[in-house]
Amino acid sequence: MQGIASGLDLHAAAVLPEGAVLLTMVLCLLVDLAGERPAARWVPPLTSVGLVTALALLARQWNGLAEPAFLGAFIADNLSVALRAIVVASTLLSLWMSWRYVERSGTPLGEYATILMAATIGAMLLCGATDLVTVFIALETLSIASYILSGYMKRDARSGEAALKYLLVGSAAAAVFLYGASLLYGLTGGDTSLEAVGLAVQSSQTPVAVLALIFVLATVGFKIAAVPFHQWTPDVYEGSPTPVVAFLSVGSKTAGFALALRLLVSCFSSLSAQWELLFTVLAILSMVLGNVVALAQTSMKRMLAYSSIAQAGFVMIGLVCGTAEGYSAAVLYLATYLFMNLGAFACVILFSLRTGSDRISDYAGLYQKDPLITLGLSLCLLSLGGIPPMLGFFGKIYLFVAGWGSGQYTMVIVGLVTSVISIYYYIGVIKNMVVKEPQDASAVVKSYPAIRWNLAGLPPLRLALVFCVAVTAVGGILSRPLFSLADQTVAGTPMLQQILAVALHNTPVT
Amino acid sequence: MSLALSTQLICFLLLSGALLLGALGVVLLPNVVYSAFLLGGVLLSMAGLYLLLNASFVAAAQVLVYVGAVNVLILFAIMLVNKRQPLRPMRVLLLRRLLSVGVCLGLLALLVQVALTTPWDLPGPPSIGEAAITRIGEHFFTDYLLPFEVASVLLLMAMIGAIVLARRDVLARDVVTGAPADQALLERQRPPLLPSQDGSSPSAPSP
Amino acid sequence: MMPITDIPLQAYLVVAAVLFCIGVWGLINSRNAVRVLMSIELMLNAVNLNMMAFSSYLDGTQVRGQVFAVFIITVAAAEAAVGLAILLSLYRNRDTVDMEQFNLLRW
Repeated sequence: MQGIASGLDLHAAAVLPEGAVLLTMVLCLLVDLAGERPAARWVPPLTSVGLVTALALLARQWNGLAEPAFLGAFIADNLSVALRAIVVASTLLSLWMSWRYVERSGTPLGEYATILMAATIGAMLLCGATDLVTVFIALETLSIASYILSGYMKRDARSGEAALKYLLVGSAAAAVFLYGASLLYGLTGGDTSLEAVGLAVQSSQTPVAVLALIFVLATVGFKIAAVPFHQWTPDVYEGSPTPVVAFLSVGSKTAGFALALRLLVSCFSSLSAQWELLFTVLAILSMVLGNVVALAQTSMKRMLAYSSIAQAGFVMIGLVCGTAEGYSAAVLYLATYLFMNLGAFACVILFSLRTGSDRISDYAGLYQKDPLITLGLSLCLLSLGGIPPMLGFFGKIYLFVAGWGSGQYTMVIVGLVTSVISIYYYIGVIKNMVVKEPQDASAVVKSYPAIRWNLAGLPPLRLALVFCVAVTAVGGILSRPLFSLADQTVAGTPMLQQILAVALHNTPVT
Repeated sequence: MSLALSTQLICFLLLSGALLLGALGVVLLPNVVYSAFLLGGVLLSMAGLYLLLNASFVAAAQVLVYVGAVNVLILFAIMLVNKRQPLRPMRVLLLRRLLSVGVCLGLLALLVQVALTTPWDLPGPPSIGEAAITRIGEHFFTDYLLPFEVASVLLLMAMIGAIVLARRDVLARDVVTGAPADQALLERQRPPLLPSQDGSSPSAPSP
Repeated sequence: MMPITDIPLQAYLVVAAVLFCIGVWGLINSRNAVRVLMSIELMLNAVNLNMMAFSSYLDGTQVRGQVFAVFIITVAAAEAAVGLAILLSLYRNRDTVDMEQFNLLRW
């Protein structure tokens, strides 16, 4: 801090992908100045180009030098690259699903894209932030954008209520996080970088570190929607526009797991016994409650909300393991979750575009009228349940093997049992669609409109649907390269390597 | 600023007394307009405490942003949405309040305990006083450059979002097909969830 | 410039803790949505007081806490603006700000 001009190297290339997203966001705003019709024409291709560019720039950072950028505010290690790629891909896919939905509801399209881009920037920065201030600003950029997006259907009281509940719970969580951050700042004696915080926590034997840990854990739990911090999830998922839910369920959750990895795994590594115990409890509660309550749901969006709570519980198994396999299994599962969950949401969005309903009972007999939705939704739900040939099976088996290998027997057994429960309600939906005779079909399906793909906005939706379903269905064949990518993620992350080395050093060889 | 120690102590006691009493008023007073004005008082006392803590720049920012913008915004919101309506009494309300008093007192005891027992790294380096403004500027353009830039994205996005949500716009049709649209969720509302008009509890389980 | 005053750091921390708890109580118990937003502002101010106290007593030369507090003030302003916009659009639909009546979605 002595001289500003004395040759500071910012390594600003680390945030080039964010720069591409930001540029796209500004271009969207400028295009939007020309009016709604030009915006509807030009914003969709513009965002696709921008996000694909961001993905390409991220690919170039893979296995690059993980230098701290911006004087220790950000790092582009492999973990951050992988999670940021998941975030960008989820934005890209949910934007493809959005266009028709947003146009159909008559809400402004340019602003929608702009706000979703801002949320993406926040989520991406959260994946690589290594400083409490950067973590906070990135978290709030993501959160505030999410509040706006959930209230975007503003003539609908449900959307407004969802946004208000999300905002109040989210702001309270942010305040709690900040209180924890202020305690950590005091504990370090005046530093905000996560490295300094980790050192301070390590050398402190006082309850203040545990208190800060609990405050931080509450925020992480809120972001990843783990029980008992999940109460907002079903309401927000039901009341928000469905494409926004698609983004929240994958992009926002991925950012939450990045926060968990950076803060809990690295900062609080000296308190690992405490946070692993808490995380185990949260994971078990999430798996049990998410899967059991999902059984009773009548709304598709609400069912997927509880299912996403349960899925977060599965990913937490990987984090608790504390082994290289555990971390790479968690990253791998997030990647598979991206495809299978977004595929399911694409089908749900298409169904509600055609019928205006998301009740599970309205899907009855659908395969007579719309084989594409039936096939896509069936494959994605089977994958979410972890049925063998699908992508989700490989992700889940890797998680359970990693958990078993590191001795988390309770969690793995709970995970297996609740997986079986989850298969029951996923299969229920599929049975409803496929097995019904034509005369038993729901009224909505009986008056199903003729299938047309010629409206603007529908081809991207079809592309997203087919892409996600195809990856979900045949991705299992490609699981070998995916495994090695996930392993490289952990291998190319100095932070995780350091933790693993310490853990290896501490455990006596048996 | 250098004040005599006794003056500082008196200032601290007065300001924190005003702060806490005002905060209690904010959450307890039945009329929300008084609460909003008291919030202004709380924020001003907070700025006074910042001055005691050698933070004149943040004190100025607090007065400008919090009192000048946030509090005025809240007052505007109250004027826009303040319908005089008697809140329907709830039977469990008193019990809930007492329970939450217990919870909050427990939390308070925990926080105070931690604040008092932790061996903070005292005394730290001497304060740089008014030079803090320069130092804050240096931080903004060196190690906090990234959050500083992201904050501008956040403010731009919040501004656009707040305008989109709060404006009364007339655009209510599908720009592609020209069909009328109502800016609502495409999923239709399910009738059992509608609150009944007579005000009875709508939480009856749907059939 | 000025030596550490004889007001202990802990005094500020206790004031901040009390303010935070008042904010939490208001958050749980307020039925008026605007008051809930005000309670959140109280909580954020408590955090800021913590930051400033640590910044003055422990970090007098680098004043990182002051920088953090400026960021918190910025975000709080954005959050308040968005919160009130959401409240306004909800009020137009529901004609109330009573939290107990926001129950179209099962809570």
